Amino acid sequence: MIDRYRWWEYVLIYLGLGLLLVFVLAPFVEAFLVSLRPLDGLFSIPYRFVTEGMSFDAYFTMWKSVPLLWRYMLNSFFIAAAVTVLGLMAIIPASYAFSRFEFKGRNVMMGCFLAVNMVSGAVLIIPLYKVMQNLGLLNTYFAMIAPGVAFVIPTGIWLLRSYLMKIPPELEEAALVDGAGRLYTLVRVIIPVAMPGIMVVAITTFIAAYAQQFLYALTFNSVNELNPLPVGLYQFFGRQHVVWNELMAASLVGILPVLLLYVFLQKYIVAGLTAGAVKS
Amino acid sequence: MGQLNMRAVHKTYGTMEVIKGIDLDIAHGEFVVFVGPSGCGKSTLLRMIAGLEEITSGEVQIDGKRVNDLPPVKRGISMVFQSYALYPHMSVYENIAFPLRVEKMKKAELDARVRRASAILKLDERLGHKPGQLSGGQRQRVAIGRAIVREPSVFLFDEPLSNLDAALRADMRVELSKLHSELDATMIYVTHDQVEAMTMADRIVVLDGGLISQVGSPLELYHKPANLFVAGFIGNPKMNFLPVVCESSGLDGVTVRLEDGGKLRLSVAGRPGMEGQKLTLGIRPEHLTTGGGDLQLTLLPRVIERLGMQTVAYASYGKDETPFTAVLAGSAPAAVNQPLHLGIAGSDCHLFDRDGVAFERDVALTDLDPTQLLQAAS
Repeated sequence: MIDRYRWWEYVLIYLGLGLLLVFVLAPFVEAFLVSLRPLDGLFSIPYRFVTEGMSFDAYFTMWKSVPLLWRYMLNSFFIAAAVTVLGLMAIIPASYAFSRFEFKGRNVMMGCFLAVNMVSGAVLIIPLYKVMQNLGLLNTYFAMIAPGVAFVIPTGIWLLRSYLMKIPPELEEAALVDGAGRLYTLVRVIIPVAMPGIMVVAITTFIAAYAQQFLYALTFNSVNELNPLPVGLYQFFGRQHVVWNELMAASLVGILPVLLLYVFLQKYIVAGLTAGAVKS
Repeated sequence: MGQLNMRAVHKTYGTMEVIKGIDLDIAHGEFVVFVGPSGCGKSTLLRMIAGLEEITSGEVQIDGKRVNDLPPVKRGISMVFQSYALYPHMSVYENIAFPLRVEKMKKAELDARVRRASAILKLDERLGHKPGQLSGGQRQRVAIGRAIVREPSVFLFDEPLSNLDAALRADMRVELSKLHSELDATMIYVTHDQVEAMTMADRIVVLDGGLISQVGSPLELYHKPANLFVAGFIGNPKMNFLPVVCESSGLDGVTVRLEDGGKLRLSVAGRPGMEGQKLTLGIRPEHLTTGGGDLQLTLLPRVIERLGMQTVAYASYGKDETPFTAVLAGSAPAAVNQPLHLGIAGSDCHLFDRDGVAFERDVALTDLDPTQLLQAAS
């Protein structure tokens, strides 16, 4: 396909893109600027981009004002990683079954998964609290991981199933003729071939888990050492005032792992989401 | 060793019957080709033998053992797929070794077997490559390598050459025939390409609508097609058919009258009571001659293809403008819309009754012409 635009069409396209980018990135820019400002430079009227005494001090002092900050970051990472690993252990075999086997209620179940996605976790937080309380699981990592896993599985199955359906069934038939059982075929043939799709699911699951943990941690956990970053950030909210610059600095450092993950793995995301769209 | 028997094999999908009762015996070491038009059930039948499709009723035996309910690997078969179905993430070596890895074979023996297979298929230099780096012909050879490494008694091929270009296909045909004689194994091969069927098969099974239309050697099918379907299917360009009326019918020959009044005596075994019946005369395009013959036909060529070695005339015959194809010498004096007079010999013709069943032709079935053998000897 050949696209030829006139110069003013290019101007319009880039204007549109620029507007969108400003809209999306403005909070990050503001967060970064705030993290650099001294506290008394925050509320200047009129608004100024550059205020006096800008420095990276907040990035150093934040570790002192909230000593467990590194622990919260590790917790966040650990919870999200655990949700991803446990989620994939359920998603891969389940989506394989959904993509290959005919069984009663298959489509109904897929529909239910979609419906579960429409219910926000917040709606279920009180019943979940009761369950956790009765099982004695409150204030454990498990309490924050298990509901996370449950909520990422349906989306994961939908994503991975469509990828697995594009893998030609001859591949499995060949493995079957070669004597491999279903499980052997899944592990040795299907999973390696589906790796780009699995990567996409892993990344979306990780990001979803990273984002959703706040709610579970806030309700199911009151042990400080186990808190993930979003809850830990509340420690910057003092009685008198909020330490905005350190809060923003901690937030930015906190999202760094996800950001790096995304930068390094984005080629998989693009490749995975478009694979099979056009016959090569 | 590699003996296969099928008894009243049926396959139905819901209410649709795809395979309508197949009885077939294949001896050890035979190269049998299933051929037929799309949707005739040839691939389904192969997949039923392989164990990839369930057998609705009937029985499939391999080496005298009922295998209906056995998984593919326990049947002692291996299969080559049309799409090759190579494992894209594994090297050529690992692809070929895969069936042995499944068996958990000892490393030394596994290596020896893979090396042997790759030597037969001339893949030695490619063992470290991934399938994506190979050409179509090499991928096909890897797929065959994966099939032979387990040394099964029956090989199944599902249109293995249809993804290759014409030149490569011709090469692979020869290689497969060689492989068959080297391995001393039974091979069952599905194709819709009659050239592949004619060149490689010991026996061809022509399938039509889920039933066996005819089983025979390639030349048997060519010279003695059992019915109209096989007559039209085997041979390229396909056989011409003309409506005729039976004049007289005897055991030593049948005389028929064409619609233009011309009479022709055919060397086929007649049946009593055929006189006056409408029959179908079959004549292959390559059996038409310019001049000579027992009867002259007047054709009107519509399209002429000059291939150098021969000339193909797509013509119409008679007042109904029946399509009629003739294969003539390369320099035959044929021109578009110029009437063409061609001769046919009664001994070359086929005759079919109203149900499409052939009258037995009186021809000797040998690969070699005895007169040419005598000439060569003298």
